[in-house]
Amino acid sequence: MSAKTLTQADLTSLVSDILAADKRVVAPSLVGIGPLEHIEYRPLHKAEDMVLDRGLPKRSIKEMFFPPTEVVFRWKQKKSDVAIDEIPTTFQQTVVIGALPCDAAAPGIVDRVMNWDYRDELWNGRREATTIVAMACDGGDKSCFCTAVGLGPESSKGADLLLTPVKAGYHVDVLTPKGEELVSKYSKRFGEAKSADEAKKYQEAARKKVEGNLSFDAPKMRAWLEGNFENEYWRTIALRCHGCGTCATMCPTCHCFDIVDENEGVLAGERRRNWDTCQTGKFTLHGSGHNPRHDQNARFRQRVTHKFAIYPGKFGEILCTGCGRCQRQCPGGMDLLEILGDIARMAGGAA
Amino acid sequence: MNLYQPFLMRVDEIIDETVDTRTLKLSFQDPKVAEKFEFKAGQFGEYSVFGAGECTFCIASAPTRKGYIECSFKLVGRVTKAMRDLNVGDTMGFRGPYGNSFPLEQMYGKSLVFIAGGIGLAPVRCVIWNALDLRDKFKDVTIIYGARSVGDLVYKRELEEWSKRADVKLWQTVDPGGETKDWKGQIGFVPTIVEKAAPAAKDCYAVICGPPVMIKFTMPVLEKLGFGKDQIYTTLENRMKCGIGKCGRCNCGPVYVCKDGPVFTAREIAALPNDF
Amino acid sequence: MKALQELARKLLEDKTVSVVIGYEEGPHGVRPAFITKPDQADRLIFDPRCVHNLATFLSPRRSHLVTLGKKAVVVKGCDARAVAGLVRETQIKREDVVVIGVRCGGVTGDPMGDGKLTEKNVAPRCAVCDVREPKLADHLVGELPPAPPTPKGPDMVAKLDAMTPEERWAFWQKELERCVRCHACREVCPMCFCERCIADKSMPQWIESSAHPRANLSWQMTRVLHMAGRCVGCGECVRACPANIPLGLILKKVAAVVEERYGYRVSDDPSVPAPIGTYRLDDKQEFIL
Repeated sequence: MSAKTLTQADLTSLVSDILAADKRVVAPSLVGIGPLEHIEYRPLHKAEDMVLDRGLPKRSIKEMFFPPTEVVFRWKQKKSDVAIDEIPTTFQQTVVIGALPCDAAAPGIVDRVMNWDYRDELWNGRREATTIVAMACDGGDKSCFCTAVGLGPESSKGADLLLTPVKAGYHVDVLTPKGEELVSKYSKRFGEAKSADEAKKYQEAARKKVEGNLSFDAPKMRAWLEGNFENEYWRTIALRCHGCGTCATMCPTCHCFDIVDENEGVLAGERRRNWDTCQTGKFTLHGSGHNPRHDQNARFRQRVTHKFAIYPGKFGEILCTGCGRCQRQCPGGMDLLEILGDIARMAGGAA
Repeated sequence: MNLYQPFLMRVDEIIDETVDTRTLKLSFQDPKVAEKFEFKAGQFGEYSVFGAGECTFCIASAPTRKGYIECSFKLVGRVTKAMRDLNVGDTMGFRGPYGNSFPLEQMYGKSLVFIAGGIGLAPVRCVIWNALDLRDKFKDVTIIYGARSVGDLVYKRELEEWSKRADVKLWQTVDPGGETKDWKGQIGFVPTIVEKAAPAAKDCYAVICGPPVMIKFTMPVLEKLGFGKDQIYTTLENRMKCGIGKCGRCNCGPVYVCKDGPVFTAREIAALPNDF
Repeated sequence: MKALQELARKLLEDKTVSVVIGYEEGPHGVRPAFITKPDQADRLIFDPRCVHNLATFLSPRRSHLVTLGKKAVVVKGCDARAVAGLVRETQIKREDVVVIGVRCGGVTGDPMGDGKLTEKNVAPRCAVCDVREPKLADHLVGELPPAPPTPKGPDMVAKLDAMTPEERWAFWQKELERCVRCHACREVCPMCFCERCIADKSMPQWIESSAHPRANLSWQMTRVLHMAGRCVGCGECVRACPANIPLGLILKKVAAVVEERYGYRVSDDPSVPAPIGTYRLDDKQEFIL
């Protein structure tokens, strides 16, 4: 599709314009105090809160489509009867700005399961209300491996617009009808494209930077995972894993959840769905006390297998965008890059 | 109405099966839903008590019996406790039917042998009644049912009814030591009784459900009797939350038990990783 | 370093232990290592990036580690308090673990960093450290490095103390609203060893499991109170938190209250009783009406 240019000042004005039109803008911004200050994707109050030069936000973009907790309906009881209050499945129009490619690509992958025969309206409602303006990445750090899973620091997958930093501000690739709509609505902020070559150079340099971190043959890896459930390798895979699930919390594609009831007083309440993770023992614990995944090694095997074999087998895509958060943030030092490298070697598919 | 919003059900009848197992007969509060509601033998649902939460159980009544569904459950935790606290006339939630079913049409013209242990009779009972309501479509019907003790046998009224029917062969058993003075049934574990009953494998399907240890030791007996892996059907119980293939909980290797199951052939089970 | 490796090798060779839990250089920085063979002992290292509290791996709740057999564990002085805590609270027997103490000159918060200690990256707990030589150690290795730099920045606990209750309430509301209820803080905590946490109990549901302000507050307050006089200050919960909630501040405050009221500072001597399980006639009790 077409291309445009956006200066830094115009980007700020664009955000102000969108906010003034009563839409929500989500962008990386600063949260936390003192040494714990960091960036997260947050709804902006004002354009100046946007922070685009601090790399990957601590947590992924998924919570904008799939919040850590959400009410699925409310209920009220009157004697023996119960009345249900439905929850709207349409959402405020939202523009995400500055999603890195590994985050922008994720919702599209999770779409598959959220629409597997049953359409999850809460997920899809937010997806439809959201336009994603992605930002090409500078190549990140040593924990990044987007290129190993078929993406890249310049990947436009899942993005409606892709911004690439250039001297004049940003080169803008307009990728979808949603992107077109945004550009035409705020056309005065966008200039003619003139830095396509410069953008390309930026993207190529970024790709070079990340490419060396990891690469593997995905079909071979999948085949190995499918055939090696009982492999010795898994028996000590998770020694340093605490089972804290931070990997899943951070992950742009992990989407498991729990459903719970909570009361508001005695005769009213709500049912919610909350994030959950296969890394906890409680996740698969039966009422009888039987637990098919009885230890952390089994739970970690599930996470790897689900992402690189089960999901691709069922839905045709790897359930991972290579953002590297699970390695970067793991308090126990679990290293998915190392594990994938090991498996690739065993599968005979290491590049 | 989003996917996670249940139908409202009325508790019509409460039947105590054992000291800790109970059956609730439920009807749809909205007559339009009641009219449209259909399910197949083997499917399950998410039953809920408002304020306590949801729980996964099979639909224990038969699809041939219209206008209501039944759910049999054992007191285990928060939701089942709340279900026990309900009275006739109270409201429950139900989402479903979910999952696949026993391929009954495929079994037409054949003999059926049902093997169940403890509360594992619930999903099997659904198929039994379904088959008995279409009795002329099947050849021999054999039911082998066991529990730890006489007190642990569920659906006692129906066991009585089946025992009286000429077109049903019923074998009831309790574990050694679980018998009472006036117990007239078998004494022994289910696999032993299956061996004793020795149903003919030719033109026969087996439907089996019970504790893992019962299934583990019954499978080789059936194999010895000549049952092929495609002649044996069972239903898996994994922990579930959503019931519709989203929440990830019941995933076991290549299958999501809630969507790809819960009904599997012995061949399909054998191909699954040991993760259930 | 050599001394540490030699010791580990010896312990494994003479079968004193079947695994030595220490630190190694991973592909992306320092990480916990589980050395089971003598010839792997030269992987062990210790430097200022070794921030992890390895005593956490001794908790009996980690069933996949229990099966490894008898353990030796490398601890800094601060981590030794967690070993002492586990012994004091009868989770492990002192004789079931070989404690390898390392003399420590402070650690950074970042195991993936360059390991150079500065006043900016030094872990907050190192400022008040009085246990640079772990007393609990069966074996003490390494030379005592120079004292760590003093962390830069304001004393946040003092700042919070100076606030009005309304300001403090607003501060914690803002910080705790980010909690996603993943319970990573609990899972990485060496002292959170309960087989079944109160937050996972549903009959009754003492603590709601959703990530909303009411439930977040009730979870974090419950955890903090259960940590009173028990928290060893290792900061693992802060490091694991996917929302960077300053849990350390409130834990530090509670520790100060316990010290003020009971004259107790979390000890690295398992025989010193903790106030939570002790009654003394001179306990302050003027709050009881």
